[in-house]
Amino acid sequence: MFMHIFFYRFKCLIRDKQLVFWTLLFPILLGTFFYMAFSNLNDEASFHPIHAAVVPSGNSHYDAPFVDVLRSVSKGKNRLFMMKTAASQAEADRWLKAGKIDGYFSSGETIQLTVNESGLNQSIMKSFVDQYRTSSAAAAQIAKDNPNALQNGLLQDLSDHRSYVKEVSGGGAEPNNVLNYFYTLIAMACLYGSFWGAKEVMDIQADQTERAARVNTAPIHKLKMFIAGSLAALIILFAEILILLAYLRFGLKIDFGPRTGLVVLTALLGSILGISFGAFISAVVKAGEGLKIACLIFVTMAGSFLSGMMYQNMKYIVSQYVPLLSWLNPVNLLTDAFYALYYYDNLYRFALNAGMMCLFIIVFCAGTYLIIRRRRYARL
Amino acid sequence: MIIHVKNLLKRYGDLVALDHLSLDIKEGEIFGLLGPNGSGKSTAINCILSLLRFDKGEIEIFGKKMTPDAYESKRNIGIVMQNVAVFNELTVYENIDYFCGLYVHDKSERKRLVEEAIDFVELGNFKKFHPKKLSGGLLRRLNIACGIAHRPKLIILDEPTVAVDPQSRNKILEGIARLNEQGATIVYTSHYMEEVEQLCSRIAILDKGRVIASGTQEELKAMITLGEKITIEAFSINEHELQQLRELSGVLSVQWVEKRLVIKSGKKAGSLEAVLDFLKTHEIGFGRIYSELPTLNDVFLEITGKQLRD
Ligand SMILES: Nc1ncnc2c1ncn2[C@@H]1O[C@H](COP(=O)(O)OP(=O)(O)OP(=O)(O)O)[C@@H](O)[C@H]1O
Ligand SMILES: [Mg+2]
Repeated sequence: MFMHIFFYRFKCLIRDKQLVFWTLLFPILLGTFFYMAFSNLNDEASFHPIHAAVVPSGNSHYDAPFVDVLRSVSKGKNRLFMMKTAASQAEADRWLKAGKIDGYFSSGETIQLTVNESGLNQSIMKSFVDQYRTSSAAAAQIAKDNPNALQNGLLQDLSDHRSYVKEVSGGGAEPNNVLNYFYTLIAMACLYGSFWGAKEVMDIQADQTERAARVNTAPIHKLKMFIAGSLAALIILFAEILILLAYLRFGLKIDFGPRTGLVVLTALLGSILGISFGAFISAVVKAGEGLKIACLIFVTMAGSFLSGMMYQNMKYIVSQYVPLLSWLNPVNLLTDAFYALYYYDNLYRFALNAGMMCLFIIVFCAGTYLIIRRRRYARL
Repeated sequence: MIIHVKNLLKRYGDLVALDHLSLDIKEGEIFGLLGPNGSGKSTAINCILSLLRFDKGEIEIFGKKMTPDAYESKRNIGIVMQNVAVFNELTVYENIDYFCGLYVHDKSERKRLVEEAIDFVELGNFKKFHPKKLSGGLLRRLNIACGIAHRPKLIILDEPTVAVDPQSRNKILEGIARLNEQGATIVYTSHYMEEVEQLCSRIAILDKGRVIASGTQEELKAMITLGEKITIEAFSINEHELQQLRELSGVLSVQWVEKRLVIKSGKKAGSLEAVLDFLKTHEIGFGRIYSELPTLNDVFLEITGKQLRD
């Protein structure tokens, strides 16, 4: 009996082309769109090395470490500078005037930067100098004691152009700032899965559809049917989310970090959250199917917006000014769980999000149960 | 007694939908619940099925109190809802199989039952069709097949022929009669008196949530004073003569509308003869003559003072 119902509910759900579109194809299309729109944002190749020059001071005590650092950031694929060495300040000035370089460094006790105009490249050079100044003492010391260290770590910090680009772009954003868009996308897909849960409730509540009324006259407990149907809905949604994850991971090469198991677990949690959310709304909002769908879409889209799907900084604005809202927004909980899995070494933040999601699931399930356990209706 | 309903009271807010309704339906009969729109037929059915909460009263099916948990009783009930209640995502065959499977667990038995139901409603050529592709009449037949595939002992049909063409309607009525011959007790609601007259062995007439009359057709028609309705084409007649006609023995009422005399007479025979004699002696020309026996509509009209259908 359970299998009979499960099997047919599965068929009913999977053949609902509209639902399959909104819960699977739409997120995939949106993901592809994001990918095309953002593909430049993090593209290493799109950063062109800055043409710069250095004017040695003649004092090798100052020149040697600085030129070393400059050289190391001026080679390789991700080089920061296209570096030339000028014989004199006059020559460097000439290059600058001719537009051959964006600026030049003058070595010495304090490193000087000379630029002609202000712009991104000039700002990066400025940041570079600032950072060199603060760490030059240490760098010089280490270079003396252990020259290899320069190559191994210290210089990488200095030469990682992304940290300069970030500083220039003025936000405290994390290195890979595109990921969050894709994380909200998955969260959105999970919550769109609420359509499945809503459908299950509509087909079990006799005061909502005639089909449900007929089913209610059969010799079988309503909750048993509901559980069989919801299980079918959950399996479909979870499979869809896994397909979406696979597409993002292998098709679009979106990085989810090394914790694959936990990422999949989060997807499962998100699927359960979506189904139970839809069931709850569908049980509470008795009026027509249209209103239910409108409610679900509104909550999902508002939640996605507040989690940064349309404008990334929204997520930070909300968590800064209305922290409660970010804890009550199921889309944000899911987004943040993926985010925490990727960025944080310890699982504390992830566990907080997961715990909060479980709480939501319990509330939704309990609420749904309290409404649908009635087997006789006041009106049909 | 297959269904026993006593003093059922159901309110929707201030509206009393069922006003101390009592019904007794015996095994083997085709019981008709006849009433105009909004008289409470569906409400009564849904209360009987334990879908609706009600304010007062008792309901027994197969001699047991009816509750949502009365699975033993439910197993033997088949219902056909007023509106088509099928899944659009499932084919004709799958829909019937799904509903049948809620009652019958054995797979091979179920397969046989589903095939039989499909033959019964003559949907053999449409097994793989989705409901959206079916015409209104075919859809109604599918709706019926879903309700009866598990061979219930009691079949409740709530206006199964609404918006169905006459041909399909006749097929459906014949089918219901056949199910009854095969041993099922039928409860049939309708606001078409012709259907109920054609089909039902016993009838309860419902108005404003109350049973205003019940019994066999003959019993119902015997309840009223009208025995015969005579219509005569008469070309000219004056008010004095009309008055004289009204005074003839056995004549209940006389009206002259659009060159037709409509005479209602009581149960005693002989009114027609007397009327014709009167017309001849007063040299009133007349044409064709019709005579009709009372219908359920007349019963309804006489008891409530209004037409069953407007
Ligand atoms: N859900 C509801 N809420 C409020 N009133 C209702 C509801 N359902 C029915 N009613 C009212 O109860 C009365 C009986 O309605 P019901 O549907 O039982 O009539 P019916 O005899 O089946 O009519 P029809 O022939 O149109 O199907 C009507 O006056 C109707 O307006
Ligand atoms: Mg009705």
